[in-house]
Amino acid sequence: MLVLVMRRAGMALPTLFGVTLIIYLLLSILPGDPLAGLLPQDATEADRAHLASSLGLDRALPVRYVMWLDDVVRGDFGYSQFRRREVAELISVAWRNTASLAVYSATFGLLTGVALGTLAGVYRGSRVDRFVTGFAIVGLSVPSFWVAILLLILFSAQLKVLPAGGLATFEHGAGNYFAHLLMPVLSGSMVSIAITARVSRASIVETFHAEFVDTLRAKGLREWQVLAHVAKNAASPVLTTAGLQVGFLLGGSVLIETIFSWPGLGQLVFNAIAARDLPVVQATTMVIASTFVLLNLGVDLIQMIFDPRLKRGA
Amino acid sequence: MTIANPVSSAAARWAAGDAPARPESYLQASRRRFLHNRVGLGALAVLSALIAMSLLAPLLTSYDPAIGAATARLRPIGAPGHLLGTDEQGRDMLTRILYGGRMSLIAGLTPVALATVIGTALGSLSGFLGRWVAAVIMRTMDMFYAFPAVLLAIAISASLGPGLVNQIIALTIIYIAPIARVAEAATRRIVVSEFIEAARLSGASTSRIILTQVLANIFSPIFVYASGLVGLAIVTAASLSFLGLGVRPPTPEWGFMLNALRGAIYMNPWVAALPGLFIFLTSISFNMLADTIRDSLDVRE
Repeated sequence: MLVLVMRRAGMALPTLFGVTLIIYLLLSILPGDPLAGLLPQDATEADRAHLASSLGLDRALPVRYVMWLDDVVRGDFGYSQFRRREVAELISVAWRNTASLAVYSATFGLLTGVALGTLAGVYRGSRVDRFVTGFAIVGLSVPSFWVAILLLILFSAQLKVLPAGGLATFEHGAGNYFAHLLMPVLSGSMVSIAITARVSRASIVETFHAEFVDTLRAKGLREWQVLAHVAKNAASPVLTTAGLQVGFLLGGSVLIETIFSWPGLGQLVFNAIAARDLPVVQATTMVIASTFVLLNLGVDLIQMIFDPRLKRGA
Repeated sequence: MTIANPVSSAAARWAAGDAPARPESYLQASRRRFLHNRVGLGALAVLSALIAMSLLAPLLTSYDPAIGAATARLRPIGAPGHLLGTDEQGRDMLTRILYGGRMSLIAGLTPVALATVIGTALGSLSGFLGRWVAAVIMRTMDMFYAFPAVLLAIAISASLGPGLVNQIIALTIIYIAPIARVAEAATRRIVVSEFIEAARLSGASTSRIILTQVLANIFSPIFVYASGLVGLAIVTAASLSFLGLGVRPPTPEWGFMLNALRGAIYMNPWVAALPGLFIFLTSISFNMLADTIRDSLDVRE
């Protein structure tokens, strides 16, 4: 068992490595002069050459990649000329904000999705089922940024009950805190609810209406005990999709954070792209992607614990 | 007693109009299931209308989508001369929606089409040749899988710069990996079957086997998966444009328009929400159509 865990964890390493490689290659083709804005107007060729060599920009690409990787592993994400701060500092602040939004969105999305999907699956064919299925297809077709704008129109522009953006900390009142969270969470989790509902429904339909359930009932188990058995069996696809959903949320955070002026990683990377702030873009993309890899690793490991079939052959 | 001649009795039955029909082929059965599905037909109708409107834009409206009148800003829906109002620069919304549809549809459909071709090629080669070829290709695909798709699209798009072509490239890249996975899995299932063995034994070359036998058989699951991706691609393309990573203004495009009208939500909310409505309608029509196709083809994945 431990061997399988180590093996699965080990698979994450080359993936992480590949992720850093892709990011570095991608951003090395970014057009524009990396030295722009770092030198005064009257800088001579010699000055430029000197700065370039001190930043290591005159070395070959593979060498630069290894140098960058070496820095990153040590926690040195570079320095942002644009924001005049250490990149690591910018990321640590933004990371907390994105994480809180992602956790709320993921929790809300997954719980609602599982609840709706389970209802639809258990009462298959009923009006509830038809409603949930219809809602799911609407939810996964709708652009999250449009939902955000519709919510803004309704709650901020028309009814004027919710603030249009920004972040509020818990110390300044719980009501205010949640008021700022409500619309970003709702718009960000819409697709999660839809996909999770669909997957849960399919999974429940497969297990709840399977033969082993009749056997359990025939054995004399009470309905809630049957449900517990069903839940354990139905959990696997839902867990897998949960990991993917969080990834989707992390990616979609760029849109939601931009619309609601939420100072997170999404907004950070977006502004950095606009400003051609290379170190920030590299580091932020890497942090988000690495989180995704580690999260999926976690999901896979949890699944291995719960599903004995996976324990036997990874 | 003479034994009845089976041939002439069958002929006699046929002449009397009594002969049994040939059993329905798979495709005929699929088409029948599709045509009986009202939701699917509805989605197809909506989609055809949207595509037709975009293509026929010059015939349906006489305004120039790029030129606006500063005095006519943010007119409401139903204003005289402007059926859907005007945008923040005084340009007619109906015109911009119609022309914008072209960009949005192209940016959504082209990447899926290209990714299907490339992904199928990579996946079927992996599934067929196996071993180290498959290992190299599929591990590379895994590295792309490690990214949240939207983030990767943003990163690629940002590296290449704004513009329709770069947007299409970025979206194509992110969809190659999932399609390659589907193609590889489907190919591996087919490869172990007997008719492939037969083809191999009869001396057919690898490329011939792939082109004739494998592709025809993996077509169904790949087509179903790819058609499911189109709706998502349209929304993702609109997301990129929303962030300014797509077509450059003043070319209209739904995602970009939605962002540009963000400031207008206090003054004219209905017009501000309009581009998003069309993105949603297109996406949901494609998704419903894809679901119907999947159900008609009766693919059990």
